[in-house]
Amino acid sequence: MSDTEIKGTGYRVWFDAEAATVNLEGSLRLGTTEYEPIAALLNQVIERRPPAITLRMTDLVFLNSSGINTLYKFAIAIRKLGDIAVHVQASSTISWQSKSLPNLRKFLPGITITLN
Amino acid sequence: MNECIDCIGDFRDDWPSTKGGVRVSVVCVSVVFYPADFAVRWSQCSATADFFAEYFAAVEACRSDDPAARDEFIGTLSYVVNELVENAVKFSVGETVEVTVGVEDGELIVMAANKILATTATPLIEKFRELLAGDPQELLFARVEANADDPEAGVSGLGFLTMMSDYAARLGWRFAAVPDNPHNVLLTTMARLEVRKP
Repeated sequence: MSDTEIKGTGYRVWFDAEAATVNLEGSLRLGTTEYEPIAALLNQVIERRPPAITLRMTDLVFLNSSGINTLYKFAIAIRKLGDIAVHVQASSTISWQSKSLPNLRKFLPGITITLN
Repeated sequence: MNECIDCIGDFRDDWPSTKGGVRVSVVCVSVVFYPADFAVRWSQCSATADFFAEYFAAVEACRSDDPAARDEFIGTLSYVVNELVENAVKFSVGETVEVTVGVEDGELIVMAANKILATTATPLIEKFRELLAGDPQELLFARVEANADDPEAGVSGLGFLTMMSDYAARLGWRFAAVPDNPHNVLLTTMARLEVRKP
């Protein structure tokens, strides 16, 4: 497993450096501490200080509240850095995304979210 | 039913409705888990949630021919059941975890029951009252910000706040005595969701 890819049963998270995109796929319902490797991957991505990143979640069918918190904290970390533009590619047909992703605007006001 | 110690929030103590000790004709499914090691298997919480969501998506009161509405229903019920089951297994002190889902009068009711240590009941009651005291979305934002500043602050109740804020769920909790066992209390968490038929 590379440091830019995390795979588990039913899910995969990886960073495509060329496209500056973090891809999240599958169903993520882990315990709080089990999200630490994913949080570490996300933090590595922003340590490189890219001008912009994309979070692609169009294939992330489920995310539990521990995962949603990991995502919110990532948005807050980016807000504190202040110089990374974030775009979220999401799906309006995935229930948790249409319900919870708009909250990201509260944690990171400049974020753009496309709900396809 | 066990003697109620405290009942808070939107808990419906009269549900599932019974007549002469028999459940009346509401669609209601219960699953009881016995294994002692259930507490650590998150994938089993997920499988339980998916089972209830798929099952109730086919129940007449919830069924939709519109694929988007069906996906929405499954996503919502699966999220809520998963959160309740995760909590139940996380805080269970053993024996059984019972999960019940039913639908009656346009309302989906999800319940998860587990035993907790009697000494934790009072702090939990306090914690649940705090969750119900303010605007759930504001509380959610405040707790996530606090946790980002100080990971030790924890994000207690985030799952419940998400259900209330993002899913318009009405939550309630019932604490009941366990016969012949003063060390444990039976905690039942209830989430109530409006069923939107297209």
